[in-house]
Amino acid sequence: MANKSVWSDNRFWQRSATWVTGFAAILLIWLTFDTSAQISMGTDKDIQNKVTKRVPGPTVINYKITYERSPKRGLEVPIIGGNDGKGNSLFQEKEKFFGRDDWSEKEARAMLHLGKLGSQAKNCMDCHTLLGNGAYYAPDLTKSWLDPMWEDGTMQAIIGGTLGKELSKEEAMAEFLQHPELYPTHARQMPNLGITKKEAIGIVAFLKQMSSIDTNGFPRNFGKMKGAINGK
Amino acid sequence: MFEPFTDVVPSFFGWINQGPLTLTIFLHTVIILPMIFIYFQEKKRLENEE
Repeated sequence: MANKSVWSDNRFWQRSATWVTGFAAILLIWLTFDTSAQISMGTDKDIQNKVTKRVPGPTVINYKITYERSPKRGLEVPIIGGNDGKGNSLFQEKEKFFGRDDWSEKEARAMLHLGKLGSQAKNCMDCHTLLGNGAYYAPDLTKSWLDPMWEDGTMQAIIGGTLGKELSKEEAMAEFLQHPELYPTHARQMPNLGITKKEAIGIVAFLKQMSSIDTNGFPRNFGKMKGAINGK
Repeated sequence: MFEPFTDVVPSFFGWINQGPLTLTIFLHTVIILPMIFIYFQEKKRLENEE
């Protein structure tokens, strides 16, 4: 039958669909492994060797983290320990975290673990967003460590003023987490969730490490906040 | 036309995500070209069946 079209032939569509479905399945399995390799956490060795990982190792809490525009990538990237001028981390400039800048990998990992469990136990995501998961009832916490309100010392002044002593950023954050009801900063006030001092320190470490994760510029509106990038 | 590769580490999926052209080339290679190949095979088969 000369005028039977291939387009109305069942086998053509069957074979095409089999090929596309099969290939897509293989591609997705490959993507899964490719992604898990890219999002797995780095180690202290990576930081020592100045290797930029998408998720830096736990000892990143010993370093100064800033949020700067990468001209090459056209978005903001977390810069760890100083910028080489081209948007790459130098892993040099340290920053004291609760009085120390020599937290070992084991200690830092334990703090992050406690912070992560704490954030889950207190259900931060009920109101906040962490790395794209959660709610937008309260501010996005993905880059909260770099929030201009904490960067320029506003929050430290409010909390330190109430307590009558000078506080560093992480100390003020830990204090805020333990007694949020004392420091109304927002139209919607955070309730006291009974976070202990140890948990608060862990959560602050967790937030600091989270802000050092390269999220391809997410959340997009964070960079538009005054003071969020390069202090501008 | 070709954007510079800007991802953190070079990867195949980063290359696909570079811009519309790389994605188009990829999808044409893995979907359109095989379908053209299958089309001609099936056409030949139908002609032989006659």
